[in-house]
Parts: sequence; C-alpha cells; structure tokens
Amino acid sequence: MTSDRVFGLVGLALAGFYVWQATQIELGFSSDPLGPRSFPIIIGGVMALASVYPLVRPDPRPDWPAAGRLLEIALAVAVLVAYALALPQVGFVLATAVAAAILSWRLGSRPLGAVLAGIGISVGIYVVFHLILGLSLARGPWGF
Amino acid sequence: MDVLSSLMDGFAVALTWQNLGLALLGCFLGTIIGAMPGLGPSNGVAILIPLAFTLGLPATPAIILLTSVYYGAMYGGRISSILLNIPGDEPALMTTLDGYPMAQQGKAGEALALSGLASFVGAFFATWGLVFLAPLLVKVALLFGPAEYFALFVLAFATLGGIASRNQSKAAFAAALGLGIAMVGVDHQTGMPRYTFDNIHLYDGIDFLVAIVGLFAVSEVFIFLEHRGEGVGGKTGPVGRITVPFAMIKQTAGTMGRSTVLGFIAGVLPGAGASLGSFIAYTVEKRLVDRKGTFGKGDPRGVAAPEAGNNAAAGGALVPMLALGVPGSGTTAVLLAMLLALNITPGPLLFQNNPDVVWGLIAALFIGNLMLLAMNIPLVGLFVRVLQVPPRILMPAVAMISAVGIYGISGSTFDLLVMVGFGVLGWVLRKLDVPLVPVILGVLLGNLMEANLRRALTISNGEWSILWGSWLAIGLWTISIVGFVLPIFVGRYIRFTRPAGMKDTAGLEGEDPD
Amino acid sequence: MSFISRSRHVLAAAVVAAVVPLSAAVAFEPTNPECIAPANPGGGWDFTCRQAGKALYDLKLVPQPIQVSNMTGGSGGVAFAHIVSKRNDDDNVIVAASSATSTRLAQGAFPGMNKDQVNWLGSVGADYGVIAVSKDSPIKTLPELMDKIKADPTSISVAGGSAVGGWDHLKVLNTARKAGIENLRQIKYVPFEGGGEAVTQLLGGHVQAFSGDISEAKGFVDSGDIKVLAVLAPERLPGEFGKFPTATEQGIPAVGANWRGFYGPGGMSDEAQKYWADSLRTMYDSPEWQKIMENNGLMPLKLYGDEFEAFVAEQIKDTEDLSREIGLIK
Repeated sequence: MTSDRVFGLVGLALAGFYVWQATQIELGFSSDPLGPRSFPIIIGGVMALASVYPLVRPDPRPDWPAAGRLLEIALAVAVLVAYALALPQVGFVLATAVAAAILSWRLGSRPLGAVLAGIGISVGIYVVFHLILGLSLARGPWGF
Repeated sequence: MDVLSSLMDGFAVALTWQNLGLALLGCFLGTIIGAMPGLGPSNGVAILIPLAFTLGLPATPAIILLTSVYYGAMYGGRISSILLNIPGDEPALMTTLDGYPMAQQGKAGEALALSGLASFVGAFFATWGLVFLAPLLVKVALLFGPAEYFALFVLAFATLGGIASRNQSKAAFAAALGLGIAMVGVDHQTGMPRYTFDNIHLYDGIDFLVAIVGLFAVSEVFIFLEHRGEGVGGKTGPVGRITVPFAMIKQTAGTMGRSTVLGFIAGVLPGAGASLGSFIAYTVEKRLVDRKGTFGKGDPRGVAAPEAGNNAAAGGALVPMLALGVPGSGTTAVLLAMLLALNITPGPLLFQNNPDVVWGLIAALFIGNLMLLAMNIPLVGLFVRVLQVPPRILMPAVAMISAVGIYGISGSTFDLLVMVGFGVLGWVLRKLDVPLVPVILGVLLGNLMEANLRRALTISNGEWSILWGSWLAIGLWTISIVGFVLPIFVGRYIRFTRPAGMKDTAGLEGEDPD
Repeated sequence: MSFISRSRHVLAAAVVAAVVPLSAAVAFEPTNPECIAPANPGGGWDFTCRQAGKALYDLKLVPQPIQVSNMTGGSGGVAFAHIVSKRNDDDNVIVAASSATSTRLAQGAFPGMNKDQVNWLGSVGADYGVIAVSKDSPIKTLPELMDKIKADPTSISVAGGSAVGGWDHLKVLNTARKAGIENLRQIKYVPFEGGGEAVTQLLGGHVQAFSGDISEAKGFVDSGDIKVLAVLAPERLPGEFGKFPTATEQGIPAVGANWRGFYGPGGMSDEAQKYWADSLRTMYDSPEWQKIMENNGLMPLKLYGDEFEAFVAEQIKDTEDLSREIGLIK
C-alpha cells in the first residue's frame, strides 16, 4: 500500500473522530443560531473529502528513511521532550547545554565539539535573550 | 498643505540625536528579534517595553523606539525564511515559498537584498498612505462588519489553490487540519470547551507561534538528521552576489506596487493584519503574473510580493490604532497598551490632542525605514554567513532558540511539548508533500472566520442572506469565485488553449488544475 | 450587584487603616520578586503587572526590579494552578487578577480550584461598566433601550469585548434583569476581541449597542461618536466622567465594576502577606499611581488583605448566583 493510501485512511479516521468529538461538545448557554458544533463539523467534512482523493489517486511513494535514521529522529524527539520536562527543574543553562550538545553530536559533531557547541549555544542564548532582552527563562536551583 | 506642515513638525520632533539613536537601536534589535524563530514583532515590542521604562523615556522617544522595533522585526522575519526555510515570524511565512528555493540555487544574497528593497517599498508607501489616507481608510474599515470579514477570510482560503504545487486535495486537507487545530480551546461564543480533553493547558487554544515554530523550525532539524552526511540539506554552497541586479528590480517593480496596495488595505482592517497582507499579496500576484509556473521555485517576484505586502500591512495596521484606538494586530495591541501607559488616550481625538506624538511617530517611521534599508543592504553580506555555519551547530541552535521563543513568552512546558509534536507532524507532512502554509493559515484565521460567521448569524437572527447582504460582501464573494474557485474547475479546459511549448509541470500529474 | 455597597463600606475602613504606620514592613523583604501575568504581553493583566511592578520599584518599596513573567493558558487558570500546585509557599511571587479571574472562578472554569487556595493581597483600582449607543441612534436613555429589547429582543444586537458569560455580557444581562426583562436568553449579545473592536462595530452600524468599560469608551465619547446611556456605578463618577447618568438614577439599579488587583500563593508567610498588602497600599496612595489611574480611567477601589478577600468572595458569590439564574452554569 502506498504512503498516500495510508495518509488517506488516517485522514478519514481523523475526520471521523473530529466530527464525532464535535457532536459531543456541550451546547451550554447558546445565544447564537449556529452553535459551537457546526463549524467543526464542516471542517471535519472538508477533511474527509480531501482524504478521499489520495486514496483514489495516490502520489508516488516518498523516500522514507531507513530504520536507523528513523531511530535518530525518534532520539531527537526524546531529547526535546526530556528537555521540555527538565527545563523547570534544572534551569535553562544546564538543560539547554545538554540538549544542544546531544543534537549537535547526532548531527555529526565530534563529542568534544558537541559539548563545546552545547555550552556555546546555551550561554549565547542566555546572554542575548535573558541578560540583554530580559526574557524570563527557566530559573534552576542555581539561579540560571 | 496642512498635512505636510504637520509632518514637518513631526520631523522636528523626531530629528534629535537621542531619537535618532533610539531609532537605530530599535531597528537593530527589531531586525534580530524578527529573524529569531518564535519571536515576532508583537513579542519583540512587548519584551522591549521594560527597556523603554528603564531608560525613563518620555512618550515620543519611547514610541519611536518601539515602532522602530516593530518595523525592524517586519524586516528581520524574512532573513531566516530565506536562509533556513524557517519563517522568523508569521508575516514572513510566505517568503519561504520562493526565498528558500532562491537560496538553494545560490542566490541567497540576491533574495535578501531584493526582499530588503521590497520591505522598504512596502513600508515607505504605506507610511505615505498613513499620512494622507488615514481618515478615509477608517471609513472603509468601518464598512467591514462580521459578514464582510467572513467573506474576506473565505477569499483568503479560496486563493489557497495557488499555493499547492501539485495536489489540491492535500492543500485542502492542510487547511482543514489548521482550521481544526484552531477550534481547540474554550469556545468564545458559549464558553464551552472544545477538543480540550479536560486539559486546562488547552483551554486558551494552541498558539499559532507554537504551531509555526514546530512545523517549520523543529521539523527542519529532523530533516537534517534524516539526511545527515548525504549533503542534501547541508548546503554551504555559494551565496551569490549580495546586491539586486537592476533587471530584477525592473522585473519586480509592478509586483511590489500591487503588493503594497493589497498589503496596506489588509493591514488597515482590524483583525486581518500583516499575515493576511503577505498571504493575499503572494497569491494574487501568482494568479496575475505567474504564467510559466515559476512561483514556488525561486521566482524573485514571489519574494518581493509577500515582503512588500507584509511591510505595507504593518504601516496599514497603524491606521486603526492611531485613528480609532483599535489594534489591527497583536503588535499594535502592544503599542496601544504602551501609549496608554504614557498618558496618551488613543482614539479618534489622538490626532488633535497629541499631534506631536502622532506626527513624531510618523516621521520616525520614515526615518526608521530609511535606516533599515541602509542597514539591511550592507548587512546582507553578514546574514548570508549564517549559511556557512555547519548544520551540526546551526540546527541545534535553531532548535534551542525556537524553544526559548516559546518558553520565554508563555513560560509553559506544555507548549514546548506541543511544539515538539508539531515538529513531528511537520516532518511527516513534508514527506507526504502536504503543504504547510495552509495549516498555518488555518490556525491563524480559523477562530476569526468562525467567530465572524457566528456573529453575522447572531445579528441576522439566523438568516444566511446576511453573508451577501452588502455590496462589499458581494464583491468579495465574486472575487473568490471568479478569480480563484472557478479556475480550479475550468483550469484544464483553459490549459488546452494555451500556446504549445508553455511548460506546465502541474499538468504532468494529470489531475492538477493549476 | 450588592458588592459595591459593601465595598464602599469597607473602603472607608481601609482608608482609616492606611493611616496606621507600617511598622512591621521591615520584617520581610522579597528577593528576586516576580509578578506573573496570566496572559500574553499586551493584555490587561500584563499591563497591571508591568505598571505596578514599575511603580513599586520606583517608590523603592521593593529592593530589586520586579521580573514580569507571562504564563498564558486557561484564561488565567494555568497560572492559578501553577501557584497552587508548585509555588504554594513562595513569598516572592504575586499574580495579576481582575474581575475576569473572579468570574471564571465563580463559573467553575478553573477545574478543581477555588479562591481559598490563594491569598488575595490587594486591589489597585476599578473600571466601571458603561452601556452606549452610536451618536445617530434614536435611543436616548437606558430605559428606552431596555424597552426596545423587551418588545423585540431580535431588534437589538449588543456588542462587547468578552466572551459569552464573560464580564461584558454579564453586565448586559444584569442590567436587563434589573430592568425587569425575563427572557434573558433572548438578548442578542455579540462577542468581539476586546472592547475597541466592539466599539468599531457600533460605529459601523453593524450592531445597535455596546457594553464595555469606561476606559474603552472614553476616546469615542470625547469625539462625540458614541453616546453613553448609563454608567454602571452606584453614583455619579468624579471629574469629567460625572456627566454620564448612572443606571440607578434612571430607575435600573444595576452596578458593575471591573476591579484589578493581585493574589499570592496560599501558603505565603504572614509577614510576606502583610508586606505585599502594605506595599500595594503605599503604592496606591502615591501620586505616581494616582496619575496612572487617572490616565487609564481607573476609579478608586482600595482594599487590602482580609477586606480584599471578603470583597472577592462576595463578588464570586454574586457572579455565581447571576450565572446560575440565567442558566450559564448548572
């Protein structure tokens, strides 16, 4: 099965779920004639229609990466998720340095270069965004 | 003339060394902020308000500083659009479509210089528009009720057909996806949560900045990971010349002119703003002049149109802010709050009560705009150096700056997780050749579109005829249908009548109308 | 709403209390003080944080500049939950709040949370509601507008800057209720993104009436574009606002004030609580803050500590009753 057929099926399922969820929205104190459900149902309808076409006439299959590269992407996702969760706990500078170093390493830096890149990126952003622009970044146990 | 003498007084106010210095500082900071993914003009202005306070500035210098940041950010957004395929802010979204292909063809310098010039043209003429047409345009803005806004947003979506290079159904899917995402959150009309799954973080909906940064910046990191070592994404090729060839200026002059007018009008309408300005400027221009199907493949006109459009819209958005006290965009909302803080009551009497502030501001816009042009053209050589930073350092920096843009503004871990989710979604959609621009357009306009439809029907007691109840609305519907929807269906027929030899790549797909 | 009569009573008490020297203020001093604005930069809460933060520092009431953090989400609910669950005993953080906060608390829009989980520190002013029509409207008084709505609710669309069930809407409903209109659901309320946009729709003739705050309407009243039918204050306002008739004097005893103030974590120490309340009080009395209030159309509302807490409690109760009565909540 081509990727577009899978895409079409997922799109249809998503549209179905979306419309079903729309019918579950509470009407509440509705003072407008259209109500909160109609527009989402229309959107779901458009989504379903647009999903049928790739099912019938799929585009050629895109080049999906090999399993190893998919794993790389999965690792990057994991790093970014861990970064988001760790940020409020360990503070901006440490979390950013570690996350940037891992990403830099996986993008082809040598380990030492990656560590330096991580520290450089982290401190650089901290100086520009926090010290100069005054954005409040996550404050860790050490105050930065 | 009355207006001109007022403007001269404005220049007298603005032309002090302190104000010039502030304008320069604002232009510089604004350009940098604009270029950072996740930080756009509205956030840029908001985070610099404390600076204005810290410096203890009176009203006029403070507003000069902040409007310089505003204009600077509008210029800066294009830089990352062109160099990295990542819009620096939402109005620069459309600039990725032709700017990035130009950079890939080794014409990054030309694209940056041209877009700088287009930004100048858009902003310069829009400022003149602000000077002479403000009272007239306010009357036009008042003509737009909910029904007219709805017709305008339908028009925006109707032009989407011009965006998709290959598959219209995928563009439609992308638009529906974006609109669907926009529905998440507490419904403004009834107060009922929709698609929030009882998660309080979703009650305010999903911020379009989170979507834009995830779909473009984070997914770009994944693309680089996927192609590491293949030399595909990591292009450190030549950057080409860093000035605009005269032939290119000549080629894009008409485009800049038309886009300035369209962008300015879109900017004047409260709620529509710069994003719609650049979007309409691009799609209309593609419909008018793209005879060979070069838009989306690195056509200079595709760079000039959105940049002239969004900078003109930035000027236009100041019209309702100054003349009505109604913000036309997120940025003008922040500027308005600033004016209030400085003891200036915005509204219809602002021009009478505080002429020094208004005309000083307008003079500052002219000055800032000239500075930005002078600053941006030589800096092109510096900007393109970004392309020489190896991706293994550039991409982690992009990812982290994106995260800072999100976290620094909202302080929300949840938003960061959503951003990563959008990154994965963006990567999959790119693989499947689903365009990302309609997704963002849907997220940006979804709530406005629904709200105006429902407002219109509330006012009319459920009568749908209100949607075409005025000449303005009928005009907008006609443009949508005749200009953009009909061609999709009759496109194939027309194609037969085109002269032979006109290359049409879309035709190879067999089904794709335009 | 009855809270106003009470608040005026408490207000007098607060003024008396202000005369007492701030002897205990030295007992606590914040380090790295922070003000959380539960919305994006540019909104009312952000503005409250930045203005008050600046004033507090300028007056040397805090030793360091107050860092403003924006914490968007859930119409203020995310910041509320953050304070309750993560910062409960933090002495150095305050959060901007307004009528929108108490309205949402009253309607149960912050799931599982209530006002007793935080410390209500003090107010910094209030913005009274107005009901207005465009200058060309044939309607001249509030009772005329209400009679029109009573006769044919479909003939009048009222625009406001808040969502259905939000503050601008509640003001209309409450006024209508006090005017003896029974079928409140029939009243056409059209929500816009902020009061400014709603006024524009009034000027464009797309709607017939406007419900908002006096600060939003001021510019358009001065230029003569709109006509204020009634200000929802207990009695005529001071200064130039005194020319507007109140709803009460037209026989419709409806009152509505959008207050602005701060709350802190529920587990805040007593010294810190007193420190913040006293600092806000000192700030309120300063000429700097009086000027800010004047510029922004803020009217006097001066309540601290327990009095402020009681005021918020009463306002929540009133909103809850009204919301239940008209079917907004069950």
